[in-house]
Amino acid sequence: MSSNTKAVSTAAPRRQKAGDAKRFRIFSTVVLAILTVIALVPLVLIVIASFTDETVLLRNGYTFFPTKWSVNAYVYMIQQGSTIARSYGVSLVVTLIGTLASVLITTMIAYPMSRKNFKYRNALSFFVFFTMLFNGGIVPSYMVWTQIFHIKNTIWALILPNYLCGAFNIFLVRNFYTNSIPDALIEAAQIDGAGELRIFFRIIFPLAVPVVATISLFTALTYWNDWVNALYYIQKPQLYGIQNLLIRIMNNIQYLKSGAASVAVGTGAVSLPSNAVRMSMAVIGILPIVIIYPFVQKYFVKGVVVGAVKG
Amino acid sequence: MSELSTATAGRKKAKAHIRYAKSGPLLLIAAPGIIYLIINNYLPMFGVFLAFKDFSYKKGVFGSPWAGFKNFEFLFRTRDAIVMTRNTLLYNAAFIVLGTILAIFIAILLNALGESIRTKFFQSSLLLPNLMSWVVIAYMVFAFLNSDTGLIDNTLKALGGKPVAWYMESGYWPFILTFVYLWKNAGYMSIIYLSAIAGIDKSIYESASLDGATKVQQIFRITLPMLKSTVVIMTLMAVGRIFFSDFGLFYQVPMNSGAIYETTQTIDTYVYRGLMQLNDVGMSSAAGLFQSVLGFIVVVSANAIVRKVDAENALF
Amino acid sequence: MVKKLGCLALAGAMVVGSMGMNVSSAKADDYTQITYAFVTFNNVPDDTSKVEEAINQITRDKIGVEVHLMPLSISEYQQQVSLAVQNGEIDIFHTLGDFGNDVSSEMCYDITDMIDEDAPETKALMEDEWLRTTSKDGRLYGIPTLKPFALQPMLIYRKDIAQELNLDMDSVKSPEDLTDIFAKVKEAHPEMTPLAPVSQGDSGLTRWIPEIDWLGDSFSNPTGVLQGDSLTVQSYYDLPDFEKYTSLVRDWYEKEYIMMDAATTTSAAAELMSSGNYFAYSASYSYPLEDTAAALSAPSGYEVGAIALGDSYLDTTAINSVTQVIASTSENPDAALKFLNLTYTDPDVINTMLYGIEGEDYVKNDDGSVSYPEGQDASTVSYTAQLSCGVLGNFFIQWPLQGSGSEESLKWEDEQNHSAKSSPAMGFGFDTSGVQTEYTAVSNVIKQYLPGLSCGSVDPAETLPKFRQALKDAGYDNILKAKQEQLDAWAAENGVTVGEEASEAESESETETAAE
Repeated sequence: MSSNTKAVSTAAPRRQKAGDAKRFRIFSTVVLAILTVIALVPLVLIVIASFTDETVLLRNGYTFFPTKWSVNAYVYMIQQGSTIARSYGVSLVVTLIGTLASVLITTMIAYPMSRKNFKYRNALSFFVFFTMLFNGGIVPSYMVWTQIFHIKNTIWALILPNYLCGAFNIFLVRNFYTNSIPDALIEAAQIDGAGELRIFFRIIFPLAVPVVATISLFTALTYWNDWVNALYYIQKPQLYGIQNLLIRIMNNIQYLKSGAASVAVGTGAVSLPSNAVRMSMAVIGILPIVIIYPFVQKYFVKGVVVGAVKG
Repeated sequence: MSELSTATAGRKKAKAHIRYAKSGPLLLIAAPGIIYLIINNYLPMFGVFLAFKDFSYKKGVFGSPWAGFKNFEFLFRTRDAIVMTRNTLLYNAAFIVLGTILAIFIAILLNALGESIRTKFFQSSLLLPNLMSWVVIAYMVFAFLNSDTGLIDNTLKALGGKPVAWYMESGYWPFILTFVYLWKNAGYMSIIYLSAIAGIDKSIYESASLDGATKVQQIFRITLPMLKSTVVIMTLMAVGRIFFSDFGLFYQVPMNSGAIYETTQTIDTYVYRGLMQLNDVGMSSAAGLFQSVLGFIVVVSANAIVRKVDAENALF
Repeated sequence: MVKKLGCLALAGAMVVGSMGMNVSSAKADDYTQITYAFVTFNNVPDDTSKVEEAINQITRDKIGVEVHLMPLSISEYQQQVSLAVQNGEIDIFHTLGDFGNDVSSEMCYDITDMIDEDAPETKALMEDEWLRTTSKDGRLYGIPTLKPFALQPMLIYRKDIAQELNLDMDSVKSPEDLTDIFAKVKEAHPEMTPLAPVSQGDSGLTRWIPEIDWLGDSFSNPTGVLQGDSLTVQSYYDLPDFEKYTSLVRDWYEKEYIMMDAATTTSAAAELMSSGNYFAYSASYSYPLEDTAAALSAPSGYEVGAIALGDSYLDTTAINSVTQVIASTSENPDAALKFLNLTYTDPDVINTMLYGIEGEDYVKNDDGSVSYPEGQDASTVSYTAQLSCGVLGNFFIQWPLQGSGSEESLKWEDEQNHSAKSSPAMGFGFDTSGVQTEYTAVSNVIKQYLPGLSCGSVDPAETLPKFRQALKDAGYDNILKAKQEQLDAWAAENGVTVGEEASEAESESETETAAE
């Protein structure tokens, strides 16, 4: 992995290289611009739909140029009230704690798996991979978490089950360690008398910045978008995350509008802008990410680049 | 002389020591993760027995009577068993191949642009679709494809063409579903490859370009070979779940339209539709276990092959 | 006094909140503690302790029980309840259309020997055959929620269009009569579609076929059924009526009388109506025609009328779809049943559960109805479960929300419950456990074909034979056979014969016409 930079270089290849690189950059920009348009157009449609008058939405369908705009869906959501702010708070706390804990645990368990001279390397890898394929299902998980750890209706129920140490992330990190961190580095440190813990925190972890950035992003998204944990373990509205709040509101609307409601609750269904509300929920659900991501991305890209330079 | 020999012996000892690293400290580092996996994944695994039980809420997991393989029968009872297995496997294969290619492609392009506002914008935009839930995506697809008010059919009508009843024609759906899958996931997956590319030693590129290699040559000679291990690992992990399917994609996006089951039914949607009324814990456990075991067999074989060819990149 | 208690309850709530744990069991050991999980369609209240305290003031003296309320949103009700039952966390819950499954997976406590002791008043409210619907093999596992049971298929239509075109809606007695009506609408308003589906893939068709006993299936997934007074199980899809109506809807589809996307639409009927593009939809309701129309006008965006497309009919599913049950893992089944008894008999208990604290969450009007306090509504008061009125206890002792329902309506509904024509197999519940394998395959086949047929988007002449063949391949006949066998055994055990029931049913249908 040592770099044999050639000191000698001629002008011609450099010019050629510059032109080539420029052409490739133009090509990249054009292609990415096209892909970006494809990615964004449907999202724009969702945002527009969330601002479209419900009647127009039903009559003319979704369109980029609605004949009548409306903020009713958002007014309705705001009427749902303080709960939205509170559940943003819950989601934020859960995402923060969950991501920090998860990244630490994941990068740690992946390290021995990357060490070629670790006796139980394959056993540990298999131990991890096995969890990716087999699970006991919700009934036993629920028993373990509620009867042994009593996490029901606590914030821990949103953090601990399922996401703290996913096999997928572990393998991403392990793969990064094996490919990007030279064995010689560890050997050298060991000769200097550094212990494993020291090696990990002083050398490995700082070098793993790109992959740490990656799994942080993945984990944060997982926690932000999660609604399953609350579905099983949370009954107190004070602990609803934003996704659960949105799902609950939507399901109530949907149920009230469905035929089944006529059986269960009579004809008391009220008028609700369900399509526009659904779209506005999608917007509300990802809005914080859209706002925060560009700021986080600075560190993310930097993480990636720093890793590249150091590698 | 004697001093020298002790020094060599010492170095030898150190080398031997490195070769077989002490397990203790390494296990200690792995401990939090191992403990978590035991609690979260291994302890509840007794639930696998549910697949062989006639589950009773009163008697609980351990007290319920055994049912043998009865819970598995429903997976094979249907003539659609072949169709749904074929769909599950083929879609997954297409997703693995096309998803990987597109994600790497995007990662290479993003990498070429370096750190700039442009890159940030492209990357954020490509990541956004991944944040949408399948329900919302289903509505969006419906906005394009429905025949009363859909954007595509309206455009076709305006141009004097014949509208297509998308939700009735099974032939279109392999393309629609693959497109929707890529739309949602390619940007997200490209992040993995981008960080892997970032991990490649920059000096390799420098020396290559000094030797006159073009960008395209560099991609094929350096970047792609260096990504091999990531591709192998990602693929192996995907192969383990090749009998599972993304439920939202196959259930929500086709709007549960019966006329296109031929190309949209997967094992998961079949199980869901079949058990919606029965709500049977044993049977759903059985389905999950069946998918896991098949996936396990496939992935262990695949891993064995990888191990033979290139031990470094095997999963375990 | 009340205020003081309220403060105490609040302080208690804060302790509970800050610890993040449920400590209710710590206080007052003298009273038996029970937990009642029910579905709410309103916002899940942040804090139920105040309402619990109000209820407990009654229940402590009457039955020595303290209740903990667990209102759950519909989106997680089934999940959380089944997990909680398995873990022994709740004592009372109610079914939502899945009574048969809940009994066969042993979620429900056998209350046969307890009901006379713990809930005699409630038992007196029930007809014997209603309690038979919540029994299995002669053992009682639950009490049906007492509410208007009898569902009548109706057409909900826009009054303004009917008036404008001078449509004689009263001449419509059956779905066939609608063809002419729809033709006139289409002619006058070519931009409109006369019929909207009630929900995705459901034109209302499955409700039109008269006198069907679903034998435990839901109307979106029927298999073997009974029609009329016969005790012979028939395949729903072989009924002449099914063929007739699928052809009728197909005809409408070809004439563009029904929404093109009815089989896949994402919108429910009321929404579609409010877009102004649709004239009518067909669904079943258990309230008088005028009340139904009045209640549906707001969500439909237009003033709507309602006409009957057939008569109401009672079968087991109609009675037991929402049933109150004691969890099989409950440690205090007697206390739970005693509490349940109060929800059927004590207006203060049930109305507090529904509306919360008087003066804070609701005010009572002079006419006996209930309103939200000045400037408040359902989403701003701190507790209301008003929309759960049809899932809790006794509907007939609940105070109505102002503007919904009247004394006469209640009377009419009560009468319907007792007089509507009912199936000869009333009380029979089908146990799917022998044919679960076939059921899963058949469910898939039904979901593949029924929505298309129901909405006319496929040609029945071509599709129906394919459908029937696919059902056969999926093991459909085994289900029919199992149903017939269980039904025969049940009939023999309960001494039900066709002739006797038929004459009774006739007299019942007479009373019904008189009531109208």
